[in-house]
Amino acid sequence: MSSQARGRRAFRFILPALLCMLFVHVIPIFWGAYIAFIDLDIYTITRWMQAPFVGLRNFFTVFSPTTDVGVRYLRSIWNVVYFGLVTIPAGYLIGLLVALLLNRKFFGRTLVRGLILLPYITPDSVAYNVWRFIFQARIGIVNKYLLALGLIKEPIIWLVGDRAIYAVMIASVWKGWPFACLVLLAGLQSIPQELYEAAKIDGASSFGLFRFVTFPMLRPVSATLLLLSAIWNFHAFNQFYILLGADPGKAHVPSTFILQEAFTNFHFGQGAAMSVFLTVVVLLMTVVILRVRRRGEEW
Amino acid sequence: MVRRTLRGILGRVLFGLAIFLVLAGVLIPYLWMVSGSFKTTLEIQSADVLKPELSPRWFPRKFTWENYLRVNRTVRMLDYFRNSIIISVGTMVFSVGISLFAAYALSRFAFSWKRTYTLAVLSTQMFPGISFLIPYFMMFVLIKHYLGLPMQNTYWGMIFTYTSFALPFSILMLRNFLDSIPREIDEQAQIDGCTPTGALFRVILPLAKPGIAAVGIYSFIMAWNEVLFATVLTGRETKTVALGLLEYITAQQARWAGMMAACILVSIPVLVLFSLMQRYIIEGLVAGATKG
Repeated sequence: MSSQARGRRAFRFILPALLCMLFVHVIPIFWGAYIAFIDLDIYTITRWMQAPFVGLRNFFTVFSPTTDVGVRYLRSIWNVVYFGLVTIPAGYLIGLLVALLLNRKFFGRTLVRGLILLPYITPDSVAYNVWRFIFQARIGIVNKYLLALGLIKEPIIWLVGDRAIYAVMIASVWKGWPFACLVLLAGLQSIPQELYEAAKIDGASSFGLFRFVTFPMLRPVSATLLLLSAIWNFHAFNQFYILLGADPGKAHVPSTFILQEAFTNFHFGQGAAMSVFLTVVVLLMTVVILRVRRRGEEW
Repeated sequence: MVRRTLRGILGRVLFGLAIFLVLAGVLIPYLWMVSGSFKTTLEIQSADVLKPELSPRWFPRKFTWENYLRVNRTVRMLDYFRNSIIISVGTMVFSVGISLFAAYALSRFAFSWKRTYTLAVLSTQMFPGISFLIPYFMMFVLIKHYLGLPMQNTYWGMIFTYTSFALPFSILMLRNFLDSIPREIDEQAQIDGCTPTGALFRVILPLAKPGIAAVGIYSFIMAWNEVLFATVLTGRETKTVALGLLEYITAQQARWAGMMAACILVSIPVLVLFSLMQRYIIEGLVAGATKG
């Protein structure tokens, strides 16, 4: 079979998947880039070809620290970065510690491993609604125990204002660490036992075993895990939308803010401009991760 | 000798304590959810952390099944369940069908654009949903405007959307699964006179059942859980359970007890399906994060 014929045969099999990708991913990405350059609102949406071309104006507006939209968008970007800087290391560290615990053999290990997966497989809508209940000021258990321990005198309003982002962080770490744990546990179990035995013969302490065997062997897995988490961090939406509502105020992240600007205030053009920026950031990070992975294969 | 056993015992106690702490951290929200689902709305509303006699409790003062029996009273939860089941089952069927063909081609055929395509599939997983949402919504509006075909707030619109979301991961997971089935098996079938499509259906399909089940369950769960696109693309007739849960809390009333009961009902299908295929889905997810 010629290579052309082979290509055609594969094409026939992949065609339905290609069409889905075309309509849901490829066309919207390019179309979104176009919308970012026009002044599109609810009145012009069905006559979008006639919407006025405004060049880079949407981008200037959403990045300007002098417009209301600009201030809030810049804050939402900072929020998602801050959110990632806290939740990714926290999730990774908890995941690593628990993975090290679970890497030993003990009675009931399978059960424990199954139970810690619960947060990861519980639907976001369920998990974050429960956390919303937990964080309620007067009827929630967080304030109940903080008061009982004497750490606060008055119940804290968790889900509105400056503290909101921390409540979301706590709930997200709770939901996210099991995935890190799972990946790291798989990484731990692929380390050959001989390495540990050899290190023991050389007189390594248990900290030495971690420092010179476990840690370096987990490096490639950790690098991809952390990079992927950094990319997926920009997807953050569910936890903010569910815990804080459609308008998280000061705790907006880009996804919630763009949703509000586009579908509540009908600024589709500006919304698209904000989305394009996110797309570019994620694209750059993806290039980095592909580079790292290729290097990982050479190790 | 005594010292060593003492250290051993101390180590074990500390280890047990650590495991206990981890489990407590994981399980406390679930206990709170279950406990809330059996409380009366009155009990939750009148709770007050400042007054010791009204402080929220773990055990309901008055145990009730009301929240489960009347889950549909204030929020049309049963309608949302029906919508979610239709959309999720539809997504499962199409995702399995489409990904099976694509994965078979990727696993068995040699062609020049294989690497490019695999990379493209992988990279669609990286972009946040919000990158597509605005133009995708416009596409729905324009299809309705020019072709007269309603897409927004329809089952097929949602099934198409979620199928496309589920495909990248489904294709890659199924390809890995098919790679583990020896090539000789379908080569032999083709020598015996099967076409590639015939070999796929007669020989590979029966062997790939676990992989297909895992992909189907993954797609079902994905559609069941999605929030962002559902907020824009669903309406009164197609609203899914993930959004329906939010309706228990309105500006006028907070029905936490009803919401907790609904939360449990919404989780059950996901937990049951997941535990059926746990091994395969987890292997796939871990491979997705480490190998790609």
